[in-house]
Amino acid sequence: MMGENTSGSFIKSKNRHGWLFVSLALILLGVFLFYPIVYSLYLSTTSSRGIVQKFVGFSNYARLFQDSMFILALKNTLIFFLIQVPIMLFLALILATILNDKTIKFRGFFRTAFFLPAVTSLIAYTILFKMMFSLDGFINGVLLNVHIIKSPIPWLLDPFWAKVTLIIALTWRWTGYNMIFYLSALQNISEEIYEAAKIDGADKVKQFFYITIPLLKPLILFTAIMSTIGTLQLFDEPMNLSQGGVTSATIGPGNSLLTLSVYVYNLCFKYMPNFGYAATVSYAIVLIVALLSIIQFKVMGDKK
Amino acid sequence: MLKRKFIILVVVCLFLIASSITYAESAEKSGTITIWSWDPNFNIPIMKEAAERYTKDNPKVTFEIVDLAKADVEQKLHINLASGVTGGLPDIALIEDYNAQKYLQSYPGSFADLTNKIKYSDFANYKASLMTLEGKVYGVPFDSGVSGLFYRTDYIEKAGYKSEDLNNITWDKFIEIGKTVKEKTGKSMIGFDLNDGGIMRIMMQSAGKWYFDDKGNVNLLNNDALKEAVKIYKAFADSGIIKQTNGWSEWVAAFNNGDVATVVTGVWIIGSVKADKASAGKWKVAATPRLNIDGAVNASNLGGSSWYVLENSKNRDLAIDFLNKIYAGDIDFYQKILTDRGAVGTYIPAQSSAVYSSEDAFFSGQKVYTDFSGWIKAIPAINYGVYTYEADAAIFSVMPEVYSGKISIEDALKKAEEQLKNQIKK
Repeated sequence: MMGENTSGSFIKSKNRHGWLFVSLALILLGVFLFYPIVYSLYLSTTSSRGIVQKFVGFSNYARLFQDSMFILALKNTLIFFLIQVPIMLFLALILATILNDKTIKFRGFFRTAFFLPAVTSLIAYTILFKMMFSLDGFINGVLLNVHIIKSPIPWLLDPFWAKVTLIIALTWRWTGYNMIFYLSALQNISEEIYEAAKIDGADKVKQFFYITIPLLKPLILFTAIMSTIGTLQLFDEPMNLSQGGVTSATIGPGNSLLTLSVYVYNLCFKYMPNFGYAATVSYAIVLIVALLSIIQFKVMGDKK
Repeated sequence: MLKRKFIILVVVCLFLIASSITYAESAEKSGTITIWSWDPNFNIPIMKEAAERYTKDNPKVTFEIVDLAKADVEQKLHINLASGVTGGLPDIALIEDYNAQKYLQSYPGSFADLTNKIKYSDFANYKASLMTLEGKVYGVPFDSGVSGLFYRTDYIEKAGYKSEDLNNITWDKFIEIGKTVKEKTGKSMIGFDLNDGGIMRIMMQSAGKWYFDDKGNVNLLNNDALKEAVKIYKAFADSGIIKQTNGWSEWVAAFNNGDVATVVTGVWIIGSVKADKASAGKWKVAATPRLNIDGAVNASNLGGSSWYVLENSKNRDLAIDFLNKIYAGDIDFYQKILTDRGAVGTYIPAQSSAVYSSEDAFFSGQKVYTDFSGWIKAIPAINYGVYTYEADAAIFSVMPEVYSGKISIEDALKKAEEQLKNQIKK
C-alpha cells in the first residue's frame, strides 16, 4: 500500500515537473501559434474596413468563388506550380545524378556552384533578375548580339514573358537547394545495384529511370510537397519583380504575377484594408496546400 | 468600491489641474515629435528643414524623422492602427492623397480633427476637400502633384516644331507630334509604362472624372474620359513612338539619358529632370495635354500628399502647433523648399512670393513655377473615393488584352467594371 502511494506521488511530482518544463514552450506556442490560428479563423467570418468590422458568417467563403481577382491569383499560382515545380525537380534530379558520378572532376566545385543560389537573399536575387531581364538589360543584349533574336524580348512587360521570367528566376534559385537533398540520398544508394544493372545491360538513361528515381521516391515526394507549399506561398519574387511601378497597382503586366499570397498582402495593405477577407484567402491557401499534399501522397506514397 | 473610484477621480483631476498650471507657467514647449515619411530626396529633407525652423523658436522640442519606404509607411500605419495599440504610432504621418479617405474611413477616431485649427482657405481648394470626412477636415495639405508636359526643345525643334506648337494641345496632337519626332530625330516621344496607371489618372482628372462618380459609385463603362484614356493608351502601344519602361528607375533613366523628347507627370519630378546637368537649358514645360472630349482642361494632377496628426499621440497639440506654424504660416519655408527641392506647396500665400516668379535657367529661362501655380488653380477638384488602387488593378488587368486587340475597349471596360464591383462589394 505504502509503496504504491509513494510511487504514485512520485509520478505525480515527476509529471508536475515535466509540465513545468514544457509549460513555457506550450504557452509561447499557444500565444504565438494556436491563438493566431483560431483568431484568424474567427476573422475569416468577418468583413472589415480597417477597424470597422462586421460579422458575415461564411459569406466570405462564398465570395471567393465570385472574386475574379482571387480566381486569377489562383490560376497564376497553379500555373507556376504545374510548370515550375516539375521542371525544377527534374533538373535537380539530373544534376544530382551527374554530380554523384565519381569520374567527374571538380565535383565539389560544381556542387557548391549549383547550391550557391540557394543562399542568396530572395530580394537581392529578384532585383538582379529584374535588372538583367529589363528591355535593354543584359539578357536581351546577349541574345541580340549572338543573333538569336531580332528584336528585344519584352520580358517583364508582357503577361506571358513575365511568367516565363519568374519561372526562370525560381528555377535558378531553388534547383540547387533540391539537388542537395537528392545528392545526399543518392550517396545512400549502393554502388552494387548500379553495377548489377550495368551487367544486365542497362545504360545510364535506363539506370536513371529504373533505379535512381524509384529509390529516391520518398525524397521526391518530400521535395514535391515542400515545393508545393513554397509555390502556394510565393510572395517575395513576384512582389519584387513587379515592384517599382511608378504609380501602378497591378502585380506584373496585366496582373500576370499576382499570386495568392500577394493578393492577401494587397487586401491588407494596398486596397481598403479588409483583414477578414484576407484571412479567408489565407485559409483557402491552407486548404489548397492540404489538398495538393494529399493527392501527392496518394500518387507517390507507399500503398502500405 | 464607488468610494475608491471617486478618490481616484479626484486625484486624477487634481493631477490634471496641477500639471496644467505648471504647463501654463512654463510657456516653453517641449517634447519629441516623431514623424513617418518617405523619399530621402524630397519629403525627408523638407521635413528636416521644417523641424529646424521650429526648433529655432522652441529649442526644447526635438524631432525624430523616420525615413521609410512609402509602402512601409502605409503597411506600418495599417498594422498599428488595426491593432488598436497606439504606442507604436508616430505623432505625424505622411499619407498620399489617393489614400487619405481610405485611412480616415477605415480607422475612425484615429486622426486628429483639425477643422478649427488650420486655416484651410489658405490652401488649394482640392486639397482640403480630399481630406474632409463628414464635415470635419483632417490633415495639413502639403505638396501638389500638378502636372505638366516637360519637353526637350532641341528634339522638338529638330522635328520642325516650335514651343507654341506644344501649348494647350490634345493627346491626339501629342501623338501626331511624336510620330514626326520619331521620324526626324530617331528619339522616342515619351518614356511610357503601359502597365502603369499614372498617365491615365492625369487624363481623367483633366476632364474632371475619376474611376468613380461623385457619390462613389463605380463609373468605368459609361465614363467617356476613361474610354478616351484607354483609347490613347492603345494608340501609344500601337504608335511606336514610346520607349517602354518598367518601373521608376528605367523611367527616370529614359529622360536622363536623353532617349525621349518629353515627360508628362507631376511637378515633383523636377528634381529628377534637373539631375541630368548636361541637358540644362534644353528643357521647357508646357501645359498638360488634354483629352479630346467636352469639359477637359489643360491642367491635371498626379499624386501629392499631406501630413496627418494621430489623435492619440502623446504630443498631439505640439505636433499640430508645429504644422500650423511652419506648413500653414511660414512663407519663407515654402520659398526655401521650392528653390532647394522644387517642391510646389499648396499654400496659396506663398505662391505670390518672389521665388515663384523667378526665371529658371535650366528651363531656358522659363518662369516654370509661375506656370505651375497657374495650372494648380485650374485642376478640376474631384472625389478620389477610397478605391483608387482597386480600380487601377481592375483596369490594368484587362489592358494587355486591349493592346493585343483580343477584346474591344468596350468589352474591356465591362469586364473591369464587373471585377471592380465584385471587389468592393462588402
